[in-house]
Amino acid sequence: MKRFGKLEYYFAALITITFSNTILGEGFDSTAFITIFVALTVMYKGLVVIDHFMELKEANRYLRMMMRTYFFFFPSLIILSTMF
Amino acid sequence: MSSIESSNTLAIFPRSWSQQNAGRVPGNIPIWVGILSELTEFGIFFTAYFIAKFNYPEVFASGPLSLNTTIGVSNTVILLASSFFMAKAMSNVRRDDYKKCERYLWYTFICACMYLSFKSYEFYWNDLQGFSTKTNEFFTVYYYMTFNHFLHVGWAACAILWVIFRLRSGAYSAKEHSGLEALAVYWHMIDLMWILIFPLLYVLR
Repeated sequence: MKRFGKLEYYFAALITITFSNTILGEGFDSTAFITIFVALTVMYKGLVVIDHFMELKEANRYLRMMMRTYFFFFPSLIILSTMF
Repeated sequence: MSSIESSNTLAIFPRSWSQQNAGRVPGNIPIWVGILSELTEFGIFFTAYFIAKFNYPEVFASGPLSLNTTIGVSNTVILLASSFFMAKAMSNVRRDDYKKCERYLWYTFICACMYLSFKSYEFYWNDLQGFSTKTNEFFTVYYYMTFNHFLHVGWAACAILWVIFRLRSGAYSAKEHSGLEALAVYWHMIDLMWILIFPLLYVLR
């Protein structure tokens, strides 16, 4: 039997988050809670791809820091946009 | 300086950035210069989005409702799958399993073609609904971001064909596959940009 490895689990998690975000966005009016939830899941998706698909977890720490900062910064702007 | 020492130093960068001190650079330095440029470019798009949304909140609240969400979700799943296949291709080349590596690269290429087809259909569908770059500020930002992303997927798909050709020519092995890895990190960067674009344009109102 083929082993269900770490990559497969992360892939399944990413797909699940994508569908749940879409259902939230489609099914409910855009409240601050939904916006913040979506922003946090976007951040998580980005960090998973950076660390496990791009394999930066064990790579150059400056490159990893740069990519992670990008994925903290823009989802934070989404959260910030709920205040205006 | 020996060749081994020079390969571990990032030349124009401080010594502390050397691969010995800061860790391995996946792919090669030029691809990371390219990725930095792309991140800056998309960063400007995202900033433009937030400025436009701040100035035209009603247009941006109704904009996502006008788009074909099914195609947006399909493209998100396709790009996530393509990133997964690319990661599998990398893990297989490290095991010297070139057949599996090539198979996963073809899967990634198919995903790229599917993305390009779905996106083309979406642009056509928008046109049928009467939407264009001039409809309103939301659609201006939408076309600016998504068409640019479309181009990136297009030329990266061509690069996949090139690395398949190189793999078949025996250019990559478990020890030396920096060219393939450079494409892999670039491809993941494209996926990352879509991870940000999708909620901004299709989900959040």
